[in-house]
Amino acid sequence: MIQVKDLVKEFELTRQQQKELNTTEKIARAVDNVSFDCQPGRVFSLLGPNGAGKTTTMRMLSTIFKPTSGSIQIAGIDAVSDAQEARKKIGFLTGSTGLYARLTPDELINYFATLYGVPADVREERKEHLYNLLGMHDFRGKRIGKLSTGMKQKVSICRTMIHDPEVVVFDEPTSGLDVITAENIIQLIRDCKDQGKTVIFSSHIMSEVDLLCDDMAIIHKGKLLFSGTMDDFRSNMQADNLTAEFIRIVQQNQNT
Amino acid sequence: MIFTILKKELIDTLRDRRTLMMMLVIPILVFPIILNLFFTVSESFQKEAATKALKIGIVGTEELFIARELKAIPESVGSKTIIYFKDTLELQKMIKSDSIDLGIYQGVELDQMLKNYKPAPLSVYYNATKMGMQERAEVYLKVIDTKVKNIRYKELNIDPEQIEPLRVEYKNVASNKEMIGKLAGGVLPYIFIAFGFIGCMYPAIDLFTGEKERGTIETLLTTPVPRWQILFGKMGVVVLSGLTAASCALLGLFLSIEVMDVVKNEEILNIIHSILSPGFILMLYALLIPLTVFFAGMMIPIAVHAKTFKEAQSIITPLNIVMVLPAMVGFFPGIELNAMTASIPVVNVVLATKELIAGTLDLGLLAVSFVVMFALALLSVFVSYKRFDKETNVVL
Repeated sequence: MIQVKDLVKEFELTRQQQKELNTTEKIARAVDNVSFDCQPGRVFSLLGPNGAGKTTTMRMLSTIFKPTSGSIQIAGIDAVSDAQEARKKIGFLTGSTGLYARLTPDELINYFATLYGVPADVREERKEHLYNLLGMHDFRGKRIGKLSTGMKQKVSICRTMIHDPEVVVFDEPTSGLDVITAENIIQLIRDCKDQGKTVIFSSHIMSEVDLLCDDMAIIHKGKLLFSGTMDDFRSNMQADNLTAEFIRIVQQNQNT
Repeated sequence: MIFTILKKELIDTLRDRRTLMMMLVIPILVFPIILNLFFTVSESFQKEAATKALKIGIVGTEELFIARELKAIPESVGSKTIIYFKDTLELQKMIKSDSIDLGIYQGVELDQMLKNYKPAPLSVYYNATKMGMQERAEVYLKVIDTKVKNIRYKELNIDPEQIEPLRVEYKNVASNKEMIGKLAGGVLPYIFIAFGFIGCMYPAIDLFTGEKERGTIETLLTTPVPRWQILFGKMGVVVLSGLTAASCALLGLFLSIEVMDVVKNEEILNIIHSILSPGFILMLYALLIPLTVFFAGMMIPIAVHAKTFKEAQSIITPLNIVMVLPAMVGFFPGIELNAMTASIPVVNVVLATKELIAGTLDLGLLAVSFVVMFALALLSVFVSYKRFDKETNVVL
């Protein structure tokens, strides 16, 4: 379970950033009082246009960033004060995730399993299961740099799941992937849901959200514009389709 | 977890061709190639200069004293051809254009002055850019000078010993080891510092900026490993790479001496062998390890802050000059390790190593140098930690 309450993240702007953003403000508020809950066995989607604050929120959930204020509970652990303990419960995957090109999938998975403190026998068992599931046996000993994008994505999935996390955080996981490769991720999200894991994923593609999620929040300029179930969203729609409704909500709050 | 990270980063680094080149291949090959080239070329130049048939230009005719005497010198002293010129202008022009190797102008009063037992004027023209010409002229003129002196002693009925008031014998109290240490000992730490720096550079950029650029740092930071452990694991590889590069350079130097026989002098070889004792190598590394940690600690905050490999490289490369320049202090024979120089980072390592080679190291000053370098290494690690812990620095 993920519980987010009054989450705020501010960044100090350098002079160059002030110039780029055409502002005299010294502080930029990337996430502004955001609260939501993600339940186990359900898929939660954080939807928003580019620069809305999705990645910053996801980075706070995965403990890469420390919130300026507010609280985050990951599987009952305070992720702000006890980030190290919370990390053991999290699997984190982004669309821009790189892999160590000079290692083989086997070496990479073993490395991350060790970092997560997975015992060797458990690691081998999980590896076997994931390799079978994803069809990774053929390229497990090849250098990652020589693998195709699809193969790399499978390695990323395996790396995310090797410690069997309770909570899985996906930050725009399908960005830049073709439909076939993206299907691996979509299947992974479904599997996680079936296994009773808490899943949160950020996206700016409404069709993907429609396909997968049970609960949803819309974020824009760091502020939460909507939070509720997908059924609530559909039933209160004023536009013709989901994408149009998403655009309408964002535009309505454009200048606020 | 530090060891797990160190092991993985080491495997990753050793599979990077660019780092391997900078860490192992270039340091090992650079000295055998440079020294071999240097000795082969300079030896062949010296040989050529010593045996070359010289074209000597003389202003005047073959009747002149200097022409007669030169002709009388046997070929075994050096082969030569004499060409006569009307004036010095033409002679100088020919020397400049390399058509003539040496030119001699005998003053008009020479014969008279010799007769009167006075020092006779003689001008020798040569081109200093041509190696060994002055030395060849000195050999010929020494033969003539000795011959004339002996004639004078006889004619004036003088015993040569009577006009030699002092017979000086210079006795060097410094051992050869000490001399090598003080005069050439600066080379060893310079090599270590220069290659140690280069060896640290590529892994530092690759393991910090590179990881940011390739988008792998985020996943590493979401693992339940404290950031300081990640930093130490990576830093360990940077330090190891620096030490390996420097050790490879020394190995290359050692191979040049031992395998390629660059040093022919048996005595110098024995001294080099006595310098390279296990105790010396241990003490050298005791000084150089904190220095390499300091280098790594200087580079890591830059590599962490930089957004691209290119940006990191453009900042660290000029830093190389700032770090390696003080190491050149070791080339000046007059500068020694004292309370002040022992407190100057990098300079203290160079001077302490020189004293170590010479066998004249003051243990108190060695302790000061070590403490200074150790404190600086600690400080640089702390700065690295602060930078690495700053979230905006580790994620693009």
